[in-house]
Amino acid sequence: MLKVDTTTLSDIINQCFDYSMDGRFSQLQRTAWLADGKRLRGLLINLLSAQFDDGNQAVLDANDHLSDLNAKLANSTAALANVAQTLSDVATLVGNLDKLLNVAANFL
Amino acid sequence: MDRTTARFLAPRLVALATILVSISSGCAVNRYQAPVSTFRDKTHQTIGVLSDFYSSRNTYEIDAYLQTVAADSKLEVLETDSRGNPTPLGRPVFSPPSIKARMDALNLIGIYAGRLYDLANTNAPSGFQSAATTLGDNLGNLDKTFQKLQGTSDPTANKYVGPISSIIGTIGKLYLEHARDQLIKTAVAEGAPQVDAILSQLRDDMDNVFSKEVVSGAKEKLATLVNVYNLDRGKLSFEQRRARLTEIKAAAGEASASVGSAPANLVSSMMDAHKALVRAANSSDKDKPASLAAFNAALEAWTTQIQTLAGQVKLLLH
Repeated sequence: MLKVDTTTLSDIINQCFDYSMDGRFSQLQRTAWLADGKRLRGLLINLLSAQFDDGNQAVLDANDHLSDLNAKLANSTAALANVAQTLSDVATLVGNLDKLLNVAANFL
Repeated sequence: MDRTTARFLAPRLVALATILVSISSGCAVNRYQAPVSTFRDKTHQTIGVLSDFYSSRNTYEIDAYLQTVAADSKLEVLETDSRGNPTPLGRPVFSPPSIKARMDALNLIGIYAGRLYDLANTNAPSGFQSAATTLGDNLGNLDKTFQKLQGTSDPTANKYVGPISSIIGTIGKLYLEHARDQLIKTAVAEGAPQVDAILSQLRDDMDNVFSKEVVSGAKEKLATLVNVYNLDRGKLSFEQRRARLTEIKAAAGEASASVGSAPANLVSSMMDAHKALVRAANSSDKDKPASLAAFNAALEAWTTQIQTLAGQVKLLLH
């Protein structure tokens, strides 16, 4: 069975929350980071227990997306320089993970 | 008594006396009593802390949800959100049967420790027979619970079924044996792999599910309080700001405690002590003092850990 990479997703969520408390971002941007962190955490709680069929392309794509985004977020200079694009990438991730939940089975 | 008879009996009387002294000293020294009693007590203490942690997961999520609502006056309190998804208030985030099954698995470890304690502290192991039926029923029901979960919606439940079934068999055998040391050795030798398997699975649950839940949850709480403070601070009095900042300080403490994986560490220190018990039970008579000393050292380390980790786990309860 295939699983969403919840370890990387957790790192992304925690980075969103860190940025929401980072004075280098404007208050508006910090509120956006907080909102994204909250939405992602809601998804995480469900995805922790979700399993998918082996080879599910949507899950493989989501895991690639998670790795790329995590790398982007880890570089705070780049995140600051491209904040609008990064927030847009996070929003795309939220949408993709939301769709994944429709084809998963939960256990907890 | 003539000299021939005396010559015949003397060596036999000496041998008999030697045997009696050996037996009586063997009975007097119950080397398992103290460490196994501590093992039982610390097991129950650890189970208490972990059970509190498990049983508070859903209220923790309800608190997180309500705090988000409290932080934003535009948000309503709902059981089902506008997209039709249940909120933590409408449906438990973690299914109660799955939580209960894990707590029952923990209790099973407690029963194992309790039986070892009984074996180490009584001279009449056959007296255990009376409790066997009740215990067997309880264990049998737990086994069925996990089998049912396995068949429905809990794909990790199967990892518990094998070990639990084996423990049921092992504990059953305990009642049929009568020699304390042999009973402990048998119980540990046959029960330990299953106990380890259950503890490993519990620790993996902590690492893979609950650690991510509490770390992100604690950070969310802190970030929410910080955000609301920064938005509201211009409208707050000095006293109100101080009160909010005190809340933020407590949330920062919780976030810091969550990163330490205290529940998983508690299970790990329990596993370490159990491994030392296994080594002690399996050691030869010659190595027994050293292995029991190592077991005592592991128990001491565990005792110290419980004090620290229980405090950290307490911060994660709601």
